[in-house]
Amino acid sequence: MKKPAFEKNLFLLGMGAFLVFSVGAILTTIIPPLVDHTFYQSPYPVHTYTASELNGMKIYQANGCVYCHTQQIRNLKEDQVRFGWRLVEAPVSQSWEYVNDRWHFLGTKRTGPDLARVGGKYASSWHWAHFKDPRNMGEKYQTQNNRFQEASLMPNFYFLSDGQIKDLTAYLQTLGRNMNWRKGQSGEYLNDYEN
Amino acid sequence: MRPNTASKLLIICSLFYLIIGVSLGFVTAMKLLWPTVGEIEILTFGRIRSVHTNLVMFGWLLQAGMGLIFFILPKLLHNKLFSEKLGVATCVLFNIATLGSALFIFAGKMKNIEYGEIPIPFDYLTVVCWIMFAINVFGTVINRNVKYLYVSVWYIIGTVIWTSFVYITGNIITQLPFITGINQANLTWFYVHNAVGLIFTPMGVAIAYYIIPKSLNTPLHSHKLSLIGFWVISFVYVWTGAHHMIHGPISYWLQTVAILFSWSLIIPVVAVITNFLGTYLATAKDKRYLGPIPKFMYMGTIFYLLTCLQGPFQAIRTVNIITSKNDWVVGHAHMALLGAFTFFAVGGIYHVLPRIIGRKLYSEKLGNIQFWIMTLASILFFGILWVGGVVQGYFWHNLNGTFLEILKMMKPYHTIRFVSGSLLVVGIIIFLYNIMETLWGKAQELKDVEV
Ligand code: HEC
Repeated sequence: MKKPAFEKNLFLLGMGAFLVFSVGAILTTIIPPLVDHTFYQSPYPVHTYTASELNGMKIYQANGCVYCHTQQIRNLKEDQVRFGWRLVEAPVSQSWEYVNDRWHFLGTKRTGPDLARVGGKYASSWHWAHFKDPRNMGEKYQTQNNRFQEASLMPNFYFLSDGQIKDLTAYLQTLGRNMNWRKGQSGEYLNDYEN
Repeated sequence: MRPNTASKLLIICSLFYLIIGVSLGFVTAMKLLWPTVGEIEILTFGRIRSVHTNLVMFGWLLQAGMGLIFFILPKLLHNKLFSEKLGVATCVLFNIATLGSALFIFAGKMKNIEYGEIPIPFDYLTVVCWIMFAINVFGTVINRNVKYLYVSVWYIIGTVIWTSFVYITGNIITQLPFITGINQANLTWFYVHNAVGLIFTPMGVAIAYYIIPKSLNTPLHSHKLSLIGFWVISFVYVWTGAHHMIHGPISYWLQTVAILFSWSLIIPVVAVITNFLGTYLATAKDKRYLGPIPKFMYMGTIFYLLTCLQGPFQAIRTVNIITSKNDWVVGHAHMALLGAFTFFAVGGIYHVLPRIIGRKLYSEKLGNIQFWIMTLASILFFGILWVGGVVQGYFWHNLNGTFLEILKMMKPYHTIRFVSGSLLVVGIIIFLYNIMETLWGKAQELKDVEV
């Protein structure tokens, strides 16, 4: 069999490998945001982070929360129900909701629950107790719903200072905020995010 | 400098990260059983997990691959490495980058890119190392004393080129200020997927294409299949990043493209596997699995096949509902990097290192024992991650039980994962012992210089 030319020509081989690769590389990285503008801009108002929330985001990153928590309600009933709130289903995450996220934490693994819509679900004092010891959150939060709390695999973040926990919590309380979805008793939308 | 100095140095350094890397994996698995183990800031789960992946991927696999390539390339081209000095300098800088990034990650300085946690300036330093490596590879190919380039050389050239773009996209472009949100996520998964697919896959396949025919003393099964495998993989692999976000907040069409291309990956993989297994079949029956090298290469091939069949399958939308976001994925990632490519690298080191230093492998028998421990333990390890993942996936899907109730059910699976993972560490320790005895201990000189 006659051998193809690239087998004795380094330039042809290198260029070939590069060009063939670059077709897919360009079409899957550069083209998508050009086609779908919600990759980088939003048609709706999106929350702008305060300095404290940004600092919280940094703490979230530095402690690898993303390796146990995703931040995306997938387009699946079970995600919407499981990560909903008091029988209200969580809305599916949309790409425009993330445009202000300088660092994304969509994640791939749910050792812990999804956090995309965790903002407003708990009081900030709940988060404080939870970071200090996720398995034993003290008397105040020992309700019957927490029977399994001691099975949590979340690390203790006792080493975070009070200021850091405050910032981190402020960040968590923003999650999901770009859509009003939690409804009060009389069906009105709640916007009671604690800071 | 003596020939192969750089190769030897890279291989020895890589072994250091191998043992540290798997030990950190061991601690991670332990934390899923007893979350309060090692409860200090620098050992918090998120950081340990990141150092584990970085060390096994870059400290170990990438570095071992570079070392093996520095040996294989001149052999195939009938010449010497372009520059040993440059090779040694690459090794020194690369180790500074790897060690530095591990320390920084422990201190909480990491990027938000999976597999790309390595912070500034060490990611830039890695790029510099890669350019130095590329100069050495291209220089050696240009100075060659043969006319035609063997298939391993194609894959090595491919690795050098693709890795540059993939690594820079994942580590540097993603951090540009205007790259945010979903755009950044898309680039992240472009990087994550291709780190495995266009860095470690071509590197591992290049090594296997050399070691398998060499250790079996049988010519490669088919030239045509190598051609198909190479060109198809360079075209199709890169399209699949978005299959990490199926059902997620990214354009539906992009997910569909990624799924379709995931399926087309079967073509190059089957071409490569047929070529490898065909070479095995052409070897006399009693010579096929003599000693640890052909065994590791064979099992690596099987794991490679299984990983690459599993990939397209779990990219199907309905299957993905059950297998995504749980331990299944962890099993899949381990089968690729630990099953396929680590096995290839171990086989490669068993072949290459004795030839570099001119001494026999200390013990074939220990190598065989290591092989059986690692094979059985990894099958158990992958298997339990898949089973646990599917169980968890079904319970989540059917909305049975609270999140924590289901998490609690995972305990037996996590236990078996921990035990089988520990066995893998034992296998690695045997490997290191065998290598150390070969290097500095009681191993015999290699007399018949069929190097
Ligand atoms: C080892 C995995 C792991 C890591 C790392 C981790 N978590 Fe968790 N997290 C869990 C698990 C498991 C749960 C569920 C049990 C519980 O409530 O503690 C949880 C629950 C939570 C919840 C409550 C969610 C809900 O809807 O009930 C929040 C908020 C949270 N984690 C935030 C964080 C933050 C912030 C970090 C990083 C500083 C973090 N987690 C790191 C495993 C982890």
